[in-house]
Amino acid sequence: MKRVIERLLNLLAFLLTTGRPVSAEEIRMTVAGYDQANDEAFRRMFERDKDLLRNMGIPLELRPTDAWEVEYGYVVPRDEYELPDPGLTDEERAALWLSVQVVRLGGQPSGPEALLKLGGGAMSGAGEPLAADLGESVASLAVVFQAVTDRRVLGFEYRDRSRRVHPYGLLHQRGHWYLVAAEAEEVRAYRIDRGSKYTAEGSARAFERPAGFRLREAVPPLPWQAGEADLEAVVRFDPEVAWWARRQLAEPATERPDGGLEARIHVANPSAFVGWLLAFEDHAEIVSPEDLRSQLLELVRGGRDE
Amino acid sequence: MSKTARRLTRILSMVPWVIAHQGASVSEVCRRFGYTERELLEDLNLVFVCGLPGYGPGDLMVAYVENDEVIVDMAEYFSRPFRLTPAEALGLLASGSALVSTSQAPEVLEQAVGKLAAALGIDADEAIVVELAGESSLVQLLREGVAEGRVVALTYTSLSKGETRERLVEPWSVFSTLGNWYLSGFCRTAGAERVFRVDRIREAQLTDGTFAPPPEPPPPEVRYTPSEDDVRATIRLGARARWVADYYPVEVLSDAGSEMVIEFSAGDPSVAARLLLRLGTDAQLIKGPETRTALEDLRSRIMARYQDR
Repeated sequence: MKRVIERLLNLLAFLLTTGRPVSAEEIRMTVAGYDQANDEAFRRMFERDKDLLRNMGIPLELRPTDAWEVEYGYVVPRDEYELPDPGLTDEERAALWLSVQVVRLGGQPSGPEALLKLGGGAMSGAGEPLAADLGESVASLAVVFQAVTDRRVLGFEYRDRSRRVHPYGLLHQRGHWYLVAAEAEEVRAYRIDRGSKYTAEGSARAFERPAGFRLREAVPPLPWQAGEADLEAVVRFDPEVAWWARRQLAEPATERPDGGLEARIHVANPSAFVGWLLAFEDHAEIVSPEDLRSQLLELVRGGRDE
Repeated sequence: MSKTARRLTRILSMVPWVIAHQGASVSEVCRRFGYTERELLEDLNLVFVCGLPGYGPGDLMVAYVENDEVIVDMAEYFSRPFRLTPAEALGLLASGSALVSTSQAPEVLEQAVGKLAAALGIDADEAIVVELAGESSLVQLLREGVAEGRVVALTYTSLSKGETRERLVEPWSVFSTLGNWYLSGFCRTAGAERVFRVDRIREAQLTDGTFAPPPEPPPPEVRYTPSEDDVRATIRLGARARWVADYYPVEVLSDAGSEMVIEFSAGDPSVAARLLLRLGTDAQLIKGPETRTALEDLRSRIMARYQDR
């Protein structure tokens, strides 16, 4: 491993300082550690090294060596290699380290590498009694996040259709990750786990977020508030479930003489609303509107099973 | 990440820091980057023989320890660490913002998240927002019970059976996953380890009773341990109901892409029945007599209520 690391340090030092793309052949002739007798051995070694650096996130790029684009060479652009200094204090680094220990992404606590790059620090102790798992595999989320930070066009498959959007931001709410993005002029939220094949396209800084855009407002806090419909539902909840209904509702509800509740609820997504209401079984009833009542009853009558 | 990549990352992080803090003590560098003294010396010796083509005395980096001071020089090209990967940046920002959203976080964390986002060229408030579900006063009270080792008295409505009971619980941890807060601990009433969904806790009170927490409490997660008494149901899911397989601990029996067959198990058939009702035509019950009975019962109860008017 010592030899490999020496070779990689030499390669990086060279590619960071040449200021021009250099061909594989030039690397072989110039950089210590690559002077292999046979072509095949060099090629294999160089491929492995490139993969390793790229997997680490080092921007090793292939660019034309001249204006005619006949030959290509390798370069590590220094401004893309370097991490801009956030100027964190030791306390701030420690706080970040603790937060990745207690709030996990994809079920795994993050390794220390990110913190090392930021200047290291005391990375021990996770005594906080708060633990949260933000779910979701990190792979597709990281692609989306990168497109958000670079402001690049993002392509993906969603509900059987290919989308190309301007990704504005990522939002985690009610246990799910949402991408808030504009397709044509329409801004909406996409649940990341319902899409697939996320790929960033084109160049960076391809769009601006509209002035006054608020990510928090793009996904309403309750599922039935997200949608195109505009209904007011009147619902009665029985006394035994009143506490649970009250806890989940955004609107104030009136208590009935029997201890139950009557609530007027704004509904933008009827099917999400009806789905939620079914959790109350027969302890809740839609009083009006009639349409919403029928929609629930249709679901209850349902497709009879074979 | 491979061992080589990890070692190289540490070198490429340590070198810039030492360049900016020439003469830092060996123990300081070791503590900061998780080195043993021997590992640090090995890496410095390795840096010492690397540099730019020519590889003569003026081309190689300088790296050594003298009088307990760490020195790295002639390495201007490594004066900054390399950028965070998207996954690393996301991990830090997501975890940081999640904690900040609970208002349990120290102020320094909020500053750290802001500085990090600014360095990455994004507006932390607009590019990434993480909100953990609410219930903050209950969560806070339960967390207090965990911290102080005090027994809590709960009024809890079971998710599957819908029945409400009083319980005495020794709280071990409070955690959030899939958008819900949970309390895990030892339920004195049931005489067993249990996980409770916080939004089903109607009331909670700290009692004067104390307990000794287990030396190694089980990792906070919603564990599903299949038991002999579980009710099983075989369910066919259409494309629009595939999320069920991600959301519930089910066994996937077959997956043809557009259609998937799962086995759903739970302590009570009403769980699957409510789910089936909600999914409507996107799912069909293939097998499971108890679930079918529960589903028919649920259907007729709701129909009765609606026809009563």
